[in-house]
Order: sequence, then C-alpha cells, then structure tokens
Amino acid sequence: MLECADSAAPILEVQGLRKVFSITRGFMGGQRASLTAVDDVSFGVAAGEAFGLVGESGCGKSTVGRCLLRLIEPTAGRVRYRGQDLAALPAQALRPLRRKLQIVFQDPYSSLNPRRTVGQTLVEPLRVHGVAKGRAARDRVAAVLTEVGLAPEAADRFPHEFSGGQRQRIAIARALILEPELIVADEAVSALDVSIQAQILLLLKDLKARHGLSFVFISHDLGVVRYFCHRVAVMYLGRLVETGPVPAIFDTPLHPYTETLRNASPVPDPANKVTMRRLDGEVPSPTAPPPGCHFHPRCPKAMDVCRTTPPAWTTLSGGRGAACHLHG
Amino acid sequence: MPSTPNSASDPAPDNAGVSDTVLSVRGLTTAFNRRGHFHAAVRHVGFDLQRNETLCLVGESGCGKSVTALSLMRLLPGRRQCRVSGSAWFDGQDLLALSEPAMTRLRGARLSMIFQEPMTSLNPVLPIGAQVGEPLVFHRGLSRQEAEREALRLLDLVKIPDAARRLRQFPHQFSGGMRQRVMIAMALACRPDILFADEPTTALDVTIQAQVLALLNDLRQERNLSLVLITHDLGVVASVADRVAVMYAGEIVEQAPADRLFARPSHPYTEALLRSIPRSDRDVGELRAISGQVPPIHRMPAGCRYAPRCPVAEAACLDATPALAPLPGDPAHAVRCRVRNPAAASEGRIGHA
Repeated sequence: MLECADSAAPILEVQGLRKVFSITRGFMGGQRASLTAVDDVSFGVAAGEAFGLVGESGCGKSTVGRCLLRLIEPTAGRVRYRGQDLAALPAQALRPLRRKLQIVFQDPYSSLNPRRTVGQTLVEPLRVHGVAKGRAARDRVAAVLTEVGLAPEAADRFPHEFSGGQRQRIAIARALILEPELIVADEAVSALDVSIQAQILLLLKDLKARHGLSFVFISHDLGVVRYFCHRVAVMYLGRLVETGPVPAIFDTPLHPYTETLRNASPVPDPANKVTMRRLDGEVPSPTAPPPGCHFHPRCPKAMDVCRTTPPAWTTLSGGRGAACHLHG
Repeated sequence: MPSTPNSASDPAPDNAGVSDTVLSVRGLTTAFNRRGHFHAAVRHVGFDLQRNETLCLVGESGCGKSVTALSLMRLLPGRRQCRVSGSAWFDGQDLLALSEPAMTRLRGARLSMIFQEPMTSLNPVLPIGAQVGEPLVFHRGLSRQEAEREALRLLDLVKIPDAARRLRQFPHQFSGGMRQRVMIAMALACRPDILFADEPTTALDVTIQAQVLALLNDLRQERNLSLVLITHDLGVVASVADRVAVMYAGEIVEQAPADRLFARPSHPYTEALLRSIPRSDRDVGELRAISGQVPPIHRMPAGCRYAPRCPVAEAACLDATPALAPLPGDPAHAVRCRVRNPAAASEGRIGHA
C-alpha cells in the first residue's frame, strides 16, 4: 500500500503511525483511560500529489496530520520525509525541515493572531527561519499576498478586517511564505460557503500546479476530496479502511464503510438522493472501540469473523487496498 | 411587530381554492438597526407553504434564510433593533400582527423550531425527560408525571434507543445526533402544524445527517407536518425538498419545485451556486467560483442585488429591481432576473407572490 500512483519515490512515507492519548474521565478525573486515536496508519505521498484523508469526526484524520508535522508526538511509527525519519529527529534537527512542511487549519478566525497585522504574521516565519528580514522580508510578504489573490496593502491590516475567505487566503500565504514542499490542509475549506470554497479550492489547485506542491488534504467532504485529490485514504476509528485512486474509490468502493459514507454524502441531484436509514448506529466511542473490525456493528455485510478478528490490510489491483474480510 | 401589517400592496391572499396552504407569507421585510439606520436583511420574501410539504430555504451565510424563520416565529428583538413588516397568514391570523400572548400560545405548540446546535438549545442541568415534556406542561397543562410519560413516548418516536434510561440522563451524555433527536422530540411534543428547522444537520457527520433527515422526512409524513428546512447545502436540498426557495442578499431569487430547480436552474446565482459545488458522485471538471462577495447589508446595490457579481448582467440590471415572477409557461417556477425572465422586468405586485 505504500506505492504511489506512479512509482515515483514518495517524498513523504508514513509507516505504522500510532498515537495513544491518555485521558482522564469521571468526577475530578478519577479514572484514567487510553484512547488510540491513530492505529497503525501507513501511506505515502508522491511529489506533486494531493493525498486525501477522509472520515467522520473523531476518526483520527486530524491527529494524523498533526503527527506528520510533530505538532503532536506520535506514540510509534515512522514519518519519513525525503528519507529522513521526522519522528526520530531531535527538535533542533527538525527545525530546518519544518520549513518544508506546513499546515493550514480549518478556522481562519482562530488560527490568525488578532493583535498582529497580516504583515507581522507573515514576516514571523521568515524571521524564525532566518530566511529574510527588513526590506527583503517585506518584498516577500507582498509577493506572497499577491500570489494568494490579495493586495500587498493587506499587510498593514488586521485579520478582523477580512472576510472568512480572505482570512483563509492569509493562512495559505503564511504556509507558502517559506516555500514548502508539502502542505497539510486540515479541513482548510470546510468553514467556507460554497462559492468561497470554490475560490479557495481553485487557488490551492493553482498553487499546487505552479509550485509542484504535495498535499495531505484532510476533509470530511467527499466532493471536495474528489475534486482536489489524486488518491485518498478512508479512516474509521483510528484505522485506515481503504485507500485508492480517487475516482475509483468513490465510484466502486470496496469497504462497506466507504460505501456507507458515499451513500450518505449529499449531491445536488434529486435523482441521486442520499440513502437515508432511520437508524444504523452511531460512531462508537474511540475509548472503547468494538473488537474485531471496528466497523462491524454498523456494517450491513458483517460476518462472524468481523466480530472477533481485525481484518488485515490487503493490497489489491489498481493501486487499491482495503482492510476488510470481504476482500481478504 | 409590523407597522402596517396589511398595507394595500400586501393584501391577505385568497386561499379559497387552496385550502392546503398552511402558511402564506407576503412581502416579509425585516430590517435591523445599524448605527441609527434600518437596513433590510430580508426583503419582500413571499411563499406559500402546503400541508405535508418540505420547503427548503437555501443560500449562503447572511442571505437572510435564518432571519426569515426567526421573523415568522417572532423570535427577533424589539422595534428599537429590528422592524418586521409584511404578512404571514396562518390559520386565519396574521402571525406578524398577533399580540405577544397570542403568539406565545402558538409558539412551541402549533409552530416549532429547531436549531443547528442542539447543545445550546438544551438546558445542561436538567434531565432530558423534564425538557422534552416541558412544552406539554406549558401548552397543554399536563402534570409533570404525565409529561414525563409522554416524553418517553416521544423519545421512542424519534428512535432514541433505551428511551426509559435516557430520560434520566443529561444533555452532555448524548451525542450530537441524539441531541438533535431530542430537539425534534421536543419540537413535535404538541403536534405542531409547521416545523422550522434551521440547519438541523449542519453540525453532524454525514452518516448521522442521513439518519436525522430520514427521521424528519418520516415524521413529516406520519404527522402531516409542514417542514421549512433552512440549509446551505444544495445536496441536502436535493435529497429532501419538495419545493425550494433560493435566497441571495435577503431576497428569494428563485423558487421552484425541487426537481425543476435542479433540472432547469434559471437565476444566474442558482446556476453559479450549482457549478461551484464539488460533487462526490461524478467529475465536475473545473469548478467555477463566484467572483466577489455578498454586499454588506448597509451597502446593497441599487437594482438587482446580484448584478455586481453576475456574468450576464446588463446595464438595466443595475437600475431597476427585478421582480420574483413566474417564468412564462411555468407558473410554479419563479425567477427574479430580468435577463432570464422577461416577466421579472420590474418589481410590482407580482413580485410578492
């Protein structure tokens, strides 16, 4: 499953990534429990590729994104960027690599410092990484603002003076200013109205083509992922359930969860209504995931083996793979 | 409260032939005070809601879809901040002209509303059972015990498993989807005629959204309910709507039966909106974004409010406000665009239809 669409060497290789949080529960945090947010996740991203991570709330997709940049320390596993294992590097050695890996968050209202002008926010990474200062830094800020479709004068204004779509452009400018190779976009267009979402998606696609950027594109929206990504991994309760190239995975899903997700995703066509079942269960708590295949309590095709044995990962033809006893 | 609820330009509609209309809104205009000036967030909104029908109000943030529902439910602040005019006929009375006590008797009983975030609508320190039964205590004079028995039945109705135990639990012990079911149970307690649902599934994951939409759909049919569903998601609209009203900058720009709206979107804004949605079921090719932004409420352009962003706008669009008029030969499909609909050339009485 590590192979990329076109046998190009992946610039990012994730292997056996695992993150366990220890949490306290009950009155005054009396009980301790552990929550496996990410459970043995592996994938690779090629240069210039947009790799999608989809799933519902709490499936661990954002935790994966943060572990890639070590904004959260992974519990186990390897994250190799151009052959170097980020997860094992000391903090000092990590810093120069951070330039090459940037992140854009969902909510541009909380991810920009309201007390700093846009210019101050954008100059900071240049200063931290010793890339440019003074005149050169200001020129670079103006250039990157122009690139994301804002006027250079935006540098003198504060985030509250901008609309949601413009703020997301500023967040993208902040990620771009260090000329990264890979951007983790964590629900980067989810908070936006569709007409603005389309503007930002077009911008990201343009930047990807112009700079050969790679993306790990985290989203709950299958439509957005189909539009933006080349390949996608579907997550459920911390585990990957299916990966594959984008049109195929949605048109002929192999894992029953991928199929459920697709059938529940609304599309603007009355001939293609969402499959509405009154009750097919909720996502179980990640602190007590079901044994065997995590999806079995909600799975319309569950068999006896699914209740006891976690399905192994199976590599299938067409660059696809799934963890499902139906395809084992 | 409207100053002239029944002005000459907004006559009470004649419902003689269409007895199945439960709500008839005409010329609804809601203006908010901004630094001493009133600006309309909703302007000349009109629609008829049929019994056992799902009408979707769809549009982007700030288009006035929520304010429309809040105006009709009379949940907006008083005259100093907000002025509502127009009429909304429900069961022989104009909701916008009713006294506050009369409205209180209807609200939560015959007209109900649910919101996007059920956690903020529920009282965190009261058990669910007491909250679900409350409308029955208030409107029907049931005792606490009777109301609790009824609450159990209502939780069963909205398919909350293990209802007897859940009744004693508190809102934080429920998932988002289950909380929205609780809100629906509460809203339906007094068997309302109309349910306003304001983005009821927006905060939910898609698989849970599908469940809640299915529940609303089933309950509407079982209870002969009329549903006004407010959403930004045209995918949700396609799945549940009988009729659709597309709103832009406070106005309905297009209104049609759902299948016809998707088959033949006629207002340039509806068209643009549909083209800007990435779809999971097929490749859309290149997305087309709508350039620019919705104008702010205090700087609405004269003429057609969409004209500054519209690719087909002509000079005349900037001068005259178009009417929401039926397309020639299709009386159920109304379009507020003078380029696409000759009948919309200028706003007259027909614009309130």
